[in-house]
Amino acid sequence: MPDDKKPLITPWRVILAIIFAAGLYATYLRFAVGWSAATNMSDAQPWGIWVGLATLCGVGLSAGGFATAAAVYLLGMERYRPICRTAIIIAFLGYGSVCVGYAYELGLPWRFWHPVVYWNRHSVLFEVCWCIIMYTTVLAIEFSPALVEKLPWKSLREWYLHWHHRIVIAFVLAGVLLSSLHQSFLGGLFIITKGKEYPLWYSTHLTTLFYLSAIPAGLAMIVIALYLSVRSLNVKIDPEILRELSAVLVPLLAIFAIFRGVDLAHEGGLGYLFRWRSETGYFWLEMALFVFIPIVLLNLERIRNSPVALYWTSAIVVMGFIANRINVSITGLERATHAGYTPKWSELAITVMLMTCAVLAFRYAVLYLDILPRSLAEKRAKWLANAGVVANA
Amino acid sequence: MAENKKALLIDITKCIGCHSCEVACKAAHELPGDPEPNLSETAFTTVQEHAGKNIRRLCMHCEEPACASACLVGALKKTSYGPVAYDKTKCIGCRYCMIACPNSVPKYEWSKLVPYVKKCDMCVNRVVQGQPTACAEACPTGATMFGGRDQLLREARRRLDNDSSYVQHIYGEREFGGTSVFFISDVPFENLGFTVAPAEEPLPQLTQAALGEVPTVVLVGGSLLAGLYWITQRRREVALAEAAEKASRKEERN
Repeated sequence: MPDDKKPLITPWRVILAIIFAAGLYATYLRFAVGWSAATNMSDAQPWGIWVGLATLCGVGLSAGGFATAAAVYLLGMERYRPICRTAIIIAFLGYGSVCVGYAYELGLPWRFWHPVVYWNRHSVLFEVCWCIIMYTTVLAIEFSPALVEKLPWKSLREWYLHWHHRIVIAFVLAGVLLSSLHQSFLGGLFIITKGKEYPLWYSTHLTTLFYLSAIPAGLAMIVIALYLSVRSLNVKIDPEILRELSAVLVPLLAIFAIFRGVDLAHEGGLGYLFRWRSETGYFWLEMALFVFIPIVLLNLERIRNSPVALYWTSAIVVMGFIANRINVSITGLERATHAGYTPKWSELAITVMLMTCAVLAFRYAVLYLDILPRSLAEKRAKWLANAGVVANA
Repeated sequence: MAENKKALLIDITKCIGCHSCEVACKAAHELPGDPEPNLSETAFTTVQEHAGKNIRRLCMHCEEPACASACLVGALKKTSYGPVAYDKTKCIGCRYCMIACPNSVPKYEWSKLVPYVKKCDMCVNRVVQGQPTACAEACPTGATMFGGRDQLLREARRRLDNDSSYVQHIYGEREFGGTSVFFISDVPFENLGFTVAPAEEPLPQLTQAALGEVPTVVLVGGSLLAGLYWITQRRREVALAEAAEKASRKEERN
């Protein structure tokens, strides 16, 4: 890295220092002083943003990992192979930060191994927990070549990559299944809150709704990461890929919107669409950010041709996704439980610190490992395998 | 077996609001402090006033408890004696039980660094030994009665039949798929702050329907993906073979 002339103190480093100072102080509050000092959680709102934001969004926004791996490995869309590692490392870091976050979230975190020993197969959370443990392992295996290929021992390297290449497809397949299950069952957690969850968000199909929303949100996350990497991490990708990813968003978001509408009608939520209540506002905010604004924007030629506009549109999708998860896990339960919850600064500080760790890890991975190409390929691979493979042969 | 299964019958018309049950409960569970207005980590039962009536609040001990189905390590369990009991040695503190309970009964020790879930355990240790719950034993008017579940249901039915001033409904007989705590009253339950049961069927059944789809997703999804992979590989092979053929033909021509 040619940064000999950079000053030691830059605005970004100051911000980083503040984030880590606040996060570490909040960590001290959580583990040494207590829950009440570190959080605004209460009997009425026992989950707060550590579940609503850190877990539900951390896992959901990592959904690009399995979607891209499936597209490249299973469907042979060689065109996206250059961004496959990006998608996988985003997912790995996302799940990693969720796992670390559980050290804070659990009341008795040193018992984290209990679900492996004590089983309750009737629990949705049990299913989610097991899927996340296994899928994080799968992601580590999928990602491992990026690390192994940097090892100095040639024979070990070749031996590992040879075997990895032969068996990776099994892990990709397992990963797609595991992801589909737990992305859905994160929504399934709230099926049991019938009567507590506000009708605009309650559905016995929360599983499908969470699945259908996680995929576009995960892809939007990849667009964001790719744009930022090209802008500041000295990598080159075909800008057409951003355009194509965003083009996929439109039908995915539309499918979600249609399913959401039909489901509201089916579950009897339609009557609540225009009531003069705070929930109504949060609902329309979520729908505007996640569905209406992105679909309109992505249909404009000007937006589709500008990487920076695609970046901001994806950011709106991600914000809409976050709004949806927080609505389901917090807003929708407030009326029944009279919680009146707003997160304490220290809850946010810990979540922001963990996200910053993930972003930093991503940055250094892109800088020091071969995650993204540093120069453009001479020939553009086409949608399906044929052309790419022939060109390589 | 049936007589082993115990329950509580609470006759709201008989409660005088003396809070004896709360005091006895605190003594039996070694909980500090005076009677409290709401359920908390130190109050497993409380007597609240609604519409001029004294209403006891406590865990309903559902026949198919949402909390127990939610608990991923099985720390909460419906015992064959009736109480929904909590095994604190298994709990990891995820607090999903608190989200799942339709009455938001489980409470958490937010002030502690090693916090556990706290709720009425229907004096499971006493019940197992054949004793009544502390609250029922302390009740001076018989408003809270302890007994066999079937026997108490018969008794409740008998009171409703003999006295038409009662609302003709036993709260807890069907609510949440049936519970082990029954209320009878002369004022409609919805005026007394009772949760209107969200569904006829027990809540865990909603979840089971979703979980039941797992094997299908794995089997169908797995075969579908494997099939797609096979097609992808086949197309790759064909493309390579065609390219090779083309190349060799070119060579021949030259």
